Amino acid sequence: MVSTIKHYVSVASCWARLAIQRQLEYPLFLFSWLLMIPIQYFSGIWMLKIIVDRFQALNGWDFPQLTFLYGLGLISHGIFVVFFINTWSIDHMVINGGFDRLLLRPMNVFFQLVASYVNFIGLIDCIPGIIIFVYGAEIAGFEWSLVNIGKLILVLIGGILIRAALFTSLGTIAFWTKRNGSMVGFALTMLERATMYPLSMYPYFLQALFTFLIPIGFISFYPAAEFLHADSGGIDLPLSFALWTPVVGIICFLIAGGIFKFGMKNYESAGS
Amino acid sequence: MLQAYWYITKMKLLTNLTYRFEVFTSVATNLILMLASVFLWQTAYKGGAGSAEALSLQDITTYTILSITISTIFVCDVQNTVYYKIREGQIVTDFYRPIPLLACYLAEDIGEMFSSLLNRALPLVVFASIFFGIPWPSSFQNFLIFLPSCLLSYAILWLLSALVGLIAFWVMELGNMGNVKDSIVRVLSGSIVPLWFFPESVQTISKFLPFQYTYQTPLGIYIGNTSITEALTSMAVQAAWIAILYLILAAGWARTKKKTLIQGG
Repeated sequence: MVSTIKHYVSVASCWARLAIQRQLEYPLFLFSWLLMIPIQYFSGIWMLKIIVDRFQALNGWDFPQLTFLYGLGLISHGIFVVFFINTWSIDHMVINGGFDRLLLRPMNVFFQLVASYVNFIGLIDCIPGIIIFVYGAEIAGFEWSLVNIGKLILVLIGGILIRAALFTSLGTIAFWTKRNGSMVGFALTMLERATMYPLSMYPYFLQALFTFLIPIGFISFYPAAEFLHADSGGIDLPLSFALWTPVVGIICFLIAGGIFKFGMKNYESAGS
Repeated sequence: MLQAYWYITKMKLLTNLTYRFEVFTSVATNLILMLASVFLWQTAYKGGAGSAEALSLQDITTYTILSITISTIFVCDVQNTVYYKIREGQIVTDFYRPIPLLACYLAEDIGEMFSSLLNRALPLVVFASIFFGIPWPSSFQNFLIFLPSCLLSYAILWLLSALVGLIAFWVMELGNMGNVKDSIVRVLSGSIVPLWFFPESVQTISKFLPFQYTYQTPLGIYIGNTSITEALTSMAVQAAWIAILYLILAAGWARTKKKTLIQGG
């Protein structure tokens, strides 16, 4: 058992080193991302500020709270893209036969899929995320106590697992259809709108959908509402929401793992 | 001569119409964006807030729906095309063609524009009409001015895109600067939040940049926030920007061609 874990860790770290070296090969390439990502997200929060200043707080969410929520959603997105970005390219691997290689090796297939590409560039998403979050925490009066920090870490882990589960399930579609089009773009848009903006803006039907069926409300909206004692909309769940996120995350992740295994049974190589 | 361009346009149109699944997800993605933005505005206007604004909730809803719809039609792939062709070295074979290269890429983009009109813009407008009512223009006259203004907008966007494409000739590994340009355009064109809501100082600076003439101008005309005389003035500004950008592009392109020849492809 211990030697297996050691083996997996050594393989993962070797892959990580290769992936980082590969990405640092073209330092100028990083530059365009380094410009684009901060522009995109800082302008996003700026838009929210313009709207809130001009009109009113969004369903009770004032600008400091919105900033906190936006930052929390963005950090969990950033960490997700560092570790799980390969779940976006399952269809690509099925088409070009890259997936066959994973099946031939004596290791867990999902582990190989995820660990074989650590997206170093994803850290760039974390930069505006952390800046916006820390600023939001400051102006929203978030208390940096040990308990809160512990809860925050659990929430981030849970949120990342929920995201990973969602993209793994979507990627699994490719085992049947060979391609899943731009499902990734679709899911990313949905996630951005549901995790970086208050869920309570949307009609009750959508709130219920994003709470019970596709539980992305747990990634950042419910935890942020809990941390800041803000209005969480029409749906009330018992117990502390901050504790629910990791539980929901683990459940989703296990279900997605099941779907992935089931999909693999139906996998036919597309040949290369 | 024109036949050659029409052939490129037609082929691009036909290719695009075959990718049905991509079309489905693209419509769904834009629909989500549209719904989320309209719900955001509805929340902002809730309880009578914003009744003092020049724009009513209905206006801003129409604005948002139209903005997302025309963004699917304004296809400016030229920046990516040039970038990838240079990276892969295919630009050499494109130079063999007996017609100007940039005009070729324009023909391709126009072909994609036609297909997007059918399979992206049309479904979006239909869905939007079901959810929020048909986004009528403020008057028939406004609609008639809206159309040429859109064409001018597209010309500005396309020229900007082509200019960004030229950067790739000089610095091949700079990554895709097109994305950087796109995120700037998205904010400063007023495609998400109209610039009328921005702080005064930003509005003043923006008047001297080409961006607000790409989305805000035609959309303002459509919802009737811009009077007819103002509309004609902004269309003149649009035309002026097209002239300026075209001259820069022509100058840049002439030098770029030499640059490529030196490298030998």
